[in-house]
Amino acid sequence: MEELKQKLKEQIIEALNLQDTKPADIDDNAPLFGDGLGLDSIDSLELMVLLERQYGIKVEDPREGRKILQSVQSMAEFIQSKQQPA
Amino acid sequence: MKVKCYIQGMAAISPQQTFDGDISTAPFVHSESNRLVCVEPDYKPYIPANSLRRMTRVLRMGLATALKCLSVSGVSTPGPIVTGTGKGSLQDTEKFIKEIEQYKETALNPTPFIQSTYNSVNGLIALQQNGTDYNNTFVHRGFSFENALVDSMMLLQEGASHTLTGSFEEMTPEHYYIKSRIGQWREAPVGNTHLFDANLPGTISGEGSAFFVLAAAPTQESKAAVTGIKLLYKPASERLSAVLQELGADADLVISGANGDSNYAHYYQLLNTVLPKPTIPFKHLCGEYDTAGSFALWLAASLLHAGNIPAEWFPMVKELPADFKKVVIYNHFFGEQHTVMVVEKV
Amino acid sequence: MAERVFITGMGMVTAIGDNVAGNLQRLRQQESGLGFTDYIDTIYKQVLPVGEVKLDNTTLFRMAGIPVQDGFSRTTLLGLVAMREALQQAGIQHLQDEPTGFINASTVGGMCDTEKVYFDLINPEKSGTFIESIHTLDCADCTQRIADTVGFTEHMATISTACSSSANALMFGARMIKAGMYQRMVCGGTEALTRFTLNGFNSLKNVDKQFCRPFDQQRTGLNLGEGAAYLVLESESFAKANNSTILAEFTGYCNANEAFHPTSPSPEGDGAYAAMKNALAMSGRTLEEVQYINVHGTATLNNDISEGRALERMFGTAIPPFSSTKPFTGHTLAAAGAIEAIYAVLAIRNGIIFPNLNFSERMEELQIAPATELQEEVVINNVISNSFGFGGNNASLVISKYEG
Repeated sequence: MEELKQKLKEQIIEALNLQDTKPADIDDNAPLFGDGLGLDSIDSLELMVLLERQYGIKVEDPREGRKILQSVQSMAEFIQSKQQPA
Repeated sequence: MKVKCYIQGMAAISPQQTFDGDISTAPFVHSESNRLVCVEPDYKPYIPANSLRRMTRVLRMGLATALKCLSVSGVSTPGPIVTGTGKGSLQDTEKFIKEIEQYKETALNPTPFIQSTYNSVNGLIALQQNGTDYNNTFVHRGFSFENALVDSMMLLQEGASHTLTGSFEEMTPEHYYIKSRIGQWREAPVGNTHLFDANLPGTISGEGSAFFVLAAAPTQESKAAVTGIKLLYKPASERLSAVLQELGADADLVISGANGDSNYAHYYQLLNTVLPKPTIPFKHLCGEYDTAGSFALWLAASLLHAGNIPAEWFPMVKELPADFKKVVIYNHFFGEQHTVMVVEKV
Repeated sequence: MAERVFITGMGMVTAIGDNVAGNLQRLRQQESGLGFTDYIDTIYKQVLPVGEVKLDNTTLFRMAGIPVQDGFSRTTLLGLVAMREALQQAGIQHLQDEPTGFINASTVGGMCDTEKVYFDLINPEKSGTFIESIHTLDCADCTQRIADTVGFTEHMATISTACSSSANALMFGARMIKAGMYQRMVCGGTEALTRFTLNGFNSLKNVDKQFCRPFDQQRTGLNLGEGAAYLVLESESFAKANNSTILAEFTGYCNANEAFHPTSPSPEGDGAYAAMKNALAMSGRTLEEVQYINVHGTATLNNDISEGRALERMFGTAIPPFSSTKPFTGHTLAAAGAIEAIYAVLAIRNGIIFPNLNFSERMEELQIAPATELQEEVVINNVISNSFGFGGNNASLVISKYEG
């Protein structure tokens, strides 16, 4: 899980071109949108592309996407739940 | 429509040092290549990092030029925002076409699609400056910027106190190649220094962004006045002659869009015949592109405001006039869209 | 006093008809034009519904009255078909008789053709007649080919403000007439379906796999469409001297920007509200005098909330019937504003309110719901037509019954 979160942070920084941000700057539970990293709805679409390209997970409904993309933690949990079917 | 408006401030990014430099002292930037490329400034002072990260080149150029123009004009709100661009963000358009192919239409990044939209720069200016007024984008080759100017003059007449009017254009290596396939550019490298040495088919490509704050009434800060504009679509030479005569007869300086392309040189020869006056070119400074007319307007207003013509920028002109008050600009884009603008000292 | 501006000719082609009469008929029959594409090369052929004009390019060449040739994109051909009808309906045989400007609108020019040959264009190994299509990518290309074919030689412009493009074209033309620059203008827009735009909107995750459901709680997005529409605008003095048939009056318009987000509208519909309010004020009509609103109603999650809130702010619950006609035509982007302006004229002249198809459940965010039944023999004197685009570009038009 920790490894996944670290990797996710690197991928987020690259996908969104967050030049002045380092993985360590992103708190696992900090909101990615609004006050946190200051991302917006276009970024959320970009992150859904990231999930699809890097993890093969397709998020169809933007409303569902918003819940998954709350934080690095929620993204990682979602990825793990998809990769290890209960 | 009453054709008269005042340039309250302006800014330009071009293949010359026009953004940070001063026209009287900035050196002429030579290019060996037939593709003139803009001298780009540091965008950070103008655009927040969080916005900059997503923006491609022409969006940065357009937005930064617009913002600098507003800041030097001393207006607090942009008012109506009217722009022209022939091609919009080519880089984003190219990227999206390729990614559709590469990723077989799945999992596509939306950003290139959004930014390929021709009015995206307008949206960004409005967003950053909270510009909730009229907002329009013209995309008609060599009429793009000039239509924006006509629209702005109508807005001023309708009661707007001022407008933010401009252009933005880029040339990518890929699009340069595509247009080379139909002979738009010189085959051998000529660069900008020797553009007018020989009369051969093709020209050099260019790019740039220029923005103006225009007002209906003059102030102490007015840089110049635009007192005439005419757009002519594929005109017969009689019509062109008549319009040049009508708008330019009493001008004391002619700015010619001559670009060294022998395919269309006859129009500029006609200009010289109809208006045998001191004439300077400008395409060696900015190259040929859809909205090069906006650079010519920036140049005319800058020269009128400075009151002299820097000789270093015009080595091909033997005698530069020392005194000029009324400038006529004639330009056309590959023989189709012809435009005449008149700019006067305030 | 600026001249009044009249609509004296209209022409169109959409998924529900090759001309104005055909469109009216299908609107009356409440028959949608949505379906799957026959002409676009895409993996979404059987997945994403579109409003496609079911005429192949060879047929369009014939309808446009020109021989099949390279360089005429589907965008140009659709435009020509609509333009021919508009000029004919206005009784214009020779455009040269009166200086006439042409304001066109396009979002991606001839992308429909360019995208098919793009990789050949950038490949030095490939050559052939496809090189002819190099110019079609420019939005100005369709404008000039239409102009050259039918004979426009005067002021010309192409506007591209995404989904509000042709509403802005109409506005620009009307303003040129009011400024006294021309007595007659032809304005509108043309749009062909492309793989580029289909994938573009799909990347924004706002394309519905079902037929779009504007203002419905369960809506999930838009369906794209294609088509073209042009309106002939004339000054009052010219229309009267020329004995033109006056179809309606173009009484108000406004373009206002939201300055909120590159693609999303503001939740309270600030731009939509400002555009509608100012357009109506310009028309000199009151809220009570508006009998129908042809909404933008794309059926995206955000548009319908934003536009709905703007309608509520403006009209409260005393709102006149409103509907989106996009379930008939799909969202035709640059052509939408002009297509829907013609629908506004048809509503006025025929006393019809078009139903908002596919609606079943009111949105939880709104108190208002669209008209779902076709209503005939309604007195309609004033219609508001909305077109909102990316970049916060909001345009509203007011079209009114001609009363002398």
